[in-house]
Amino acid sequence: MTPPPNSNPHHWSRIRETGSAAGIRTMVWIRRHLGRAPFQVMLALVVGYYYLAHGLHRRTSRTYLSRLWRHRHGRAPRNLAWLGLRHFWHFGQSLIDKIEAWSGIPPRLRFEAGARERFLTAVGSGRGGVILVSHVGNIEVCTAMSDLREEFHATLLMHTHNAQQFDSVLARATHRTNPPEIVEVSQITPSTAMRLGQRIADGGFVVIAADRVPISDDGRARQREFLGHPAPFPEGPFWLSTLLRCPVYTLGCFRETGHADGAASRGTPGYRVAFDAFDDTAALSRRGREAWIDTAMDRYVDWLTRQCETTPLQWFNFFPFWHDDPDALPTATE
Amino acid sequence: MTTALEQELKEMIIESLELEDVTPEDIDPEEPLFVEGLGLDSIDALELGLALQKRYGITLESDGEASREHFANLKSLAALVEARRVK
Repeated sequence: MTPPPNSNPHHWSRIRETGSAAGIRTMVWIRRHLGRAPFQVMLALVVGYYYLAHGLHRRTSRTYLSRLWRHRHGRAPRNLAWLGLRHFWHFGQSLIDKIEAWSGIPPRLRFEAGARERFLTAVGSGRGGVILVSHVGNIEVCTAMSDLREEFHATLLMHTHNAQQFDSVLARATHRTNPPEIVEVSQITPSTAMRLGQRIADGGFVVIAADRVPISDDGRARQREFLGHPAPFPEGPFWLSTLLRCPVYTLGCFRETGHADGAASRGTPGYRVAFDAFDDTAALSRRGREAWIDTAMDRYVDWLTRQCETTPLQWFNFFPFWHDDPDALPTATE
Repeated sequence: MTTALEQELKEMIIESLELEDVTPEDIDPEEPLFVEGLGLDSIDALELGLALQKRYGITLESDGEASREHFANLKSLAALVEARRVK
């Protein structure tokens, strides 16, 4: 038996995800007015401070990195401290990129082979859909895709608590022509479902991350092996996909390193966009749902694993992700 | 007396929730749909909401008490449809 998700004091929803609003604004100001070099120095200092000061984030990062390395290379990482710092650096960088994306500064998007066509076909079909995303990479950057196509209307489902602080910063910074709608949910109620149903009927897209279990205690979760250890995954996004009876897609947006540096020096980071058809639940019978959800969750976890393998340092779930994480046991801190 | 709309809703509930052993006559307009009565669960509530949205174009702007009242029994559902239907 697994404990209900929220009995855990280190449930992700209780961990403050980002630094203070003032801090983020300061960093954005430095980036805009003083340029890249002072900004990088400041970011390095901030990241270094966070790495030293936030023990829980550091530990969860190490657990993740160790498990990924064992899964990928069959051994522990050679220099865990350095890798952990770089992990934090990527997170800091991603926060800044989020702000840029939300302020309407278009990121340089490079679609994977065929992804642009798949995306345009999905938008053009008029059927809308559910887009499953994760906390690997930078999904907010993808929302810039709504500027790409006027007909692309995205509704982002966000868990209420820790989205708030960040959004208050973003709300002020947004100068977008076609900004995505944000629906904050702690739990899907009939009225939320009806609103989402209407969005899909209008050809819109519902974007939801499927790698964090819900805040409420009655949230349904299922256990899956992830990087060799059991972890809880939410059923909600998959239930929603079956209830809305529509096409389902996966979307990922990953910062590119290496050749993207040239672009970063000009002020726009480069991002690789992966957009794929996942399934279609339009013809799925009520009876077939349980089985569909079961295999869909397996497939989602496989997909998530591949994202981690490709971009190992862009995993931004800094909370005890696995059941067997020592920090996930309530007795450890209570 | 069951109204035409109530009859239509009964059929919609049975069809969208695939309640094979239930006939329209089994649904008492005053009886709670959830937990007691028909014994529907939270997923059924979402399904029902979506069926209402699809068929009548109804959306509810707020969560909480109000929406729970709308879904209390067949009578309240019929009142909701009456008041908010756009098709």
